[in-house]
Amino acid sequence: METSFAITGKDYVIVASDTTAARSIVKMKEDEDKIKAVSPHLLMAYSGEPGDTIQFSEYIERNLRLFHIRNNYSLTPSAAASWIRRSLAQSLRSRKPYSVNLMLGGYDTTSDTPHLFWIDYLGTLAEVPFGAHGYGSYFALSLLDRYHNPEASLEEGLEILKRCIDEVAKRLVVTPGKYKVKVVDKDGSREIEL
Amino acid sequence: MAAASVYSSPGFDFSNQIRNNFLAGKGLPLPKATSTGTTIVGCIFEDGVILGADTRATEGPIVADKNCEKIHYLTESIRCCGAGTAADTEFVTNLISSNMEMHALTHGRKPRVVTAMTMLKQYLFQHQGQVGAALVLGGVDATGPNLFTIAPHGSTDKLPYVTMGSGSLAAMAVFESTWQPNMSRADALQLVKDAISAGIFNDLGSGSNVDACIITATHTEMLRNVEMPNERVQKERTYVFPKGTTAWKKEDIKKLVLTEEITPLAVEAMDTT
Amino acid sequence: MSIMEYNGGSVIAMVGKDCVAIASDLRLGNQALGISSNFQKIFPVTDRIYLGLPGLATDVTTLRERFRFRVNMYTIKEGREIEPETFAHLVSSTLYERRFGPYFIEPVMAGLAKSATGGFKPFIAATDLIGCLNFAKDFVVAGTASSKLYGVAEGLWEPDLEPEQLFETISQTMLNAVDRDAYSGWGVIVHVIEKDKVTTRTLKGRMD
Repeated sequence: METSFAITGKDYVIVASDTTAARSIVKMKEDEDKIKAVSPHLLMAYSGEPGDTIQFSEYIERNLRLFHIRNNYSLTPSAAASWIRRSLAQSLRSRKPYSVNLMLGGYDTTSDTPHLFWIDYLGTLAEVPFGAHGYGSYFALSLLDRYHNPEASLEEGLEILKRCIDEVAKRLVVTPGKYKVKVVDKDGSREIEL
Repeated sequence: MAAASVYSSPGFDFSNQIRNNFLAGKGLPLPKATSTGTTIVGCIFEDGVILGADTRATEGPIVADKNCEKIHYLTESIRCCGAGTAADTEFVTNLISSNMEMHALTHGRKPRVVTAMTMLKQYLFQHQGQVGAALVLGGVDATGPNLFTIAPHGSTDKLPYVTMGSGSLAAMAVFESTWQPNMSRADALQLVKDAISAGIFNDLGSGSNVDACIITATHTEMLRNVEMPNERVQKERTYVFPKGTTAWKKEDIKKLVLTEEITPLAVEAMDTT
Repeated sequence: MSIMEYNGGSVIAMVGKDCVAIASDLRLGNQALGISSNFQKIFPVTDRIYLGLPGLATDVTTLRERFRFRVNMYTIKEGREIEPETFAHLVSSTLYERRFGPYFIEPVMAGLAKSATGGFKPFIAATDLIGCLNFAKDFVVAGTASSKLYGVAEGLWEPDLEPEQLFETISQTMLNAVDRDAYSGWGVIVHVIEKDKVTTRTLKGRMD
């Protein structure tokens, strides 16, 4: 089952997502990247209806890029989150709404702070210290309640993330096989091998 | 999404409807609009009309407002009691009140009760009962005293005494037993009070106090809370908590009055060169 | 489970002596799963008007943005700040416009209205999801814990509470009502509005 986690730490945000692309009960692919770097300091993990996720994340990516080209600066994470939420809320009022859930992690270069947003397909937006989507969230959120530390170093942050992944692997009936992990901090975003 | 303007076209906005139907389809039932149980009455007496209403507003089994006003202003000598969906009665009477004022201004004379009745029934009929307002309309105009009921689908009745709302049966029983043609002002007011009281005490959707409005050719008297049979008794003790009872984690005080201190610098002699 | 209970959350406002208070819980849930313990439902409209928006979380944000826009336009056009009663009617008509496709929000407002003599008069109001106004003289409640809030507030509220007393009364009302509601809680925030200052406090509440 689709699962994504995100954790803030000292001056960074870790975003992790499983890599399975499933259709009905069949695994179609095991190395799908479901985390997009939508702007230099912004990572977006998406899950939901397969076609919608790609279409919506590319729409977001290109519009944020267009903003950057026109104005020569990027939207801050909170501004981008606001706009993405509005796009989802608008889509929900259309005939065929996007069914996409997001974890949006970014680093605000104007105030040097990491930000993480939990967004669902209804257009619900909440800034959170850590969050998760999918069935994995039932295990991960309780673990993170206990072990999350906003002052943790990247190594410690990844350690907590591993605990979440291990717990989901141990307890969830249909466990995702592999995860992709990305980090965003003052130097931009990059992928990390666990 | 609505256009980026403060102005929108008149009438209802249906932009949320697709979404709401989508949510309803996901197995989340849509909440019902708050509907109010009510007792409202009206009766003609020798020199005018008396309207009456209880003052309870309910949301399902909860009493949302213990002393609300159900006798709405249409014009100086025409008033209207509302039962049914609270928001609908409020907005429909406001709209017609505004249209009646415009009507009076264009024609330069006092508008008649039938005019208000026609405006209300046409509006309600157009909306096919979706605007859930059940009304008792009364007033005095050039033709004398007039009293109507208007049902949510737009049908009307013209009668010497009328009741509406969930308490209408209790109130009507009182009217049927004691109403007479050409009653005196005092007797008619007492009858209206009794009819509303019957609703207050026998119908769960109605409660609290009695409001009445006496309209005659020369004068309109709004009697807010003429009868208060359910006043709350003085609390036997106070429940003020000592300061510091509640533990709090964070406090932020935003001062609304800015104070600034002015430190005068050494006075320099004016440059007169 | 109705849409009004999908995200959970409750708001209450109370009148005191020359002051008003408004409080809400801080939970954002997805049905039974808690997502955030710092989800704000109360927003300042002007210095002396606060608006609480309990209900479906997506509409909390949408309506907040809408009211901010409409109040800004009002301020620019009128060249003055909006009065609480005017704002209440703005809220009411915005919701009634969508009578047949509503926002799933039951707004609660608290503020101080300027009186003719230059003083300030406490003001509270609430509407249902299609904009039926309720101007109460004591307290107004809304949200998933509303039935519990009615009961506790009915018992604890009394007239002419001083700001500090009002803070204790509204806080205890909120904390105790929210403890009996599964969908509200995870912390409480209280704003006490007085003529010269607004005190905002985050309460220590149960986190279950």
